[in-house]
Amino acid sequence: MTQRRKQRQKPRQGQEQRETQKTAQKQDFRRVDKYIWELPADFRDDMRVPARLFGDAELFDAAFRDRTAIQLTNTATLPGIVKYALAMPDFHQGYGFPIGGVAAIRRDTGVISPGGVGYDINCGVRLLGTYLEQEEVAPYLEDLTAALYRACPSGVGGKGRVQVSERELDELVTQGARWALNKGLARQEDVIHTEEQGCLSGADPSKVSARAKERGRPQVGSLGAGNHFLEIDVVEEIYDPEVADAFGLWENQIVVQIHCGSRGFGHQVCDDYVKQLQSAVHKYKIQLPDRELVCAPIDSPEGRAYYGAMASAVNYAFVNRQVLAMGVREAFEQVLAGRVQEFDLFQVYDVAHNIAKFEEHEVDGQRMRLCVHRKGATRAFGPGYQGLPPNHRDVGQPVLVPGSMGTASYVLVGTNKAMELTFGSTCHGAGRTMSRSKARREIWGSDLRNELEQQGIVVRAGSNKGLAEEAPAAYKDVSRVVEVVHGVGIARKVARLRPLAVIKG
Amino acid sequence: MSGHFRFEEIEHTADIAIRVRGRDLAELFANAAYGMACQLADPGAVDQTVEHVIELDAYDAETLLVSWLGELLYLGEREECVFTDFELPQVTPTRLRAIVRGGPVEKHGAHIKAVTFSELEIVRTDAGYETTVVFDV
Repeated sequence: MTQRRKQRQKPRQGQEQRETQKTAQKQDFRRVDKYIWELPADFRDDMRVPARLFGDAELFDAAFRDRTAIQLTNTATLPGIVKYALAMPDFHQGYGFPIGGVAAIRRDTGVISPGGVGYDINCGVRLLGTYLEQEEVAPYLEDLTAALYRACPSGVGGKGRVQVSERELDELVTQGARWALNKGLARQEDVIHTEEQGCLSGADPSKVSARAKERGRPQVGSLGAGNHFLEIDVVEEIYDPEVADAFGLWENQIVVQIHCGSRGFGHQVCDDYVKQLQSAVHKYKIQLPDRELVCAPIDSPEGRAYYGAMASAVNYAFVNRQVLAMGVREAFEQVLAGRVQEFDLFQVYDVAHNIAKFEEHEVDGQRMRLCVHRKGATRAFGPGYQGLPPNHRDVGQPVLVPGSMGTASYVLVGTNKAMELTFGSTCHGAGRTMSRSKARREIWGSDLRNELEQQGIVVRAGSNKGLAEEAPAAYKDVSRVVEVVHGVGIARKVARLRPLAVIKG
Repeated sequence: MSGHFRFEEIEHTADIAIRVRGRDLAELFANAAYGMACQLADPGAVDQTVEHVIELDAYDAETLLVSWLGELLYLGEREECVFTDFELPQVTPTRLRAIVRGGPVEKHGAHIKAVTFSELEIVRTDAGYETTVVFDV
């Protein structure tokens, strides 16, 4: 254990405030736009900036049925936060930050918080495009699903496609996608079409615990369980032909989505630092309304250590999805070689949903380097941004928004409006509305399986229970969430995907 | 240990949360561990074939509780088993020693990624201690 024993009679952070905190009600928010609701900074003494919720009237109401509004108010208290604490329209209660939360924090005077990234560091989505139409794949869909299930290990504690030594793991997390490229597990085009080119700089494996490494070593190239999945989809509708063309998407095309993160490695990094930073909060005299918001000054040994470890987990996740993408290619070749003309897959894009990173944004007319926390939110950079691949630079960054199991997913494009309103961020998915336990009580996994199969969706899942927990009825309607971000302009619709086959742990 | 309230599951939109009580810290910690085990598997179906001694230090009682449950998750993942029996001969707010027993399971329940500090506060009640634990799943 790294924690030192302390005297017992120390104040426990947050406790005093918690008893006197005001809870924001609907009427405390002001509607500043059709889809934007604002809680002024003077609502609570400890708020440093206003809080903004994105959503239509019904989504807005949902923020008060769980702890979203409270958690967003708490997020607005973080030292160094600028402009607003934001919640994207797929928000729901999380721990520390709400899910869907975005906070941009000054590098010089602000803090970095593991609670603003979450346990599954760089949980994200990769979208692969094929050169195939639905009818060409239809006869082989069952075989393809079975081959994907074999090629992409899933489930609790599932071992990955690649086993690495401790030294290799250090290289992997330092170099990210480049490591995979050097090992023949990636193509140059994959690396280019990944957020940050698949490598968040500043990763420092010496700040990662032995336990995180031990958990991470056997799991490279595995999906895991929970809400993670692999899906074969068909592009059902194109909303913006010009942008879709730049992304390589067309109607009736077969595509594949991979949704997963940094596995045990990332969970352990978060777990370690949420514990370790408890004492830092005390040391730096930071007042917090919720212990899960635990943080440390960005410019402190503790803050730098967390960033180095978190960036390592970010890179682990990029490699994890990369190795799975190679598994997808292998499965397609196995089943389709000799049966269709072109079975190869190219990478449309790969984006993170849980991350903290340094970006430049404009605040009150000034360019400022900020640590942008996105917890269940997607970067959505508009056209012209230098970090985008050449074929996306004129149109903006692809934003990948998976729906719940068996429902539509969306490909959106980032906008300059997002740069103005949300630090270049938008929604990441549907967002839950029903607890897992309620879903298990109310929905039968086997019924759901039949229902999905009746819709013609092929399902391979580790357990019916897991299936029930992720049932579409447990989520908000993703189309509604997407209408809000499209309507407010913090991303624009490009294409809608319909699932044909789902693989879950 | 049995026959009275050990834990109850409470609603949480995305994750799993349990409310736990105990007459003392040792019972609170054992009940929290049992509550977690019930999420991971059916404890009745687990043969106790594995035994471990766990010793932990932490910053305060809440951190100790998170460390304790995290340790059980970690050992469970490493040894592919679920722990269902907990003896805690020594517990102070910053230190514990425990003997835990469990075994492999055929039917896994939830996959818990981590134990969170979300709204975590161990409070004293007339009957002992009470807390809520939120698991990230």
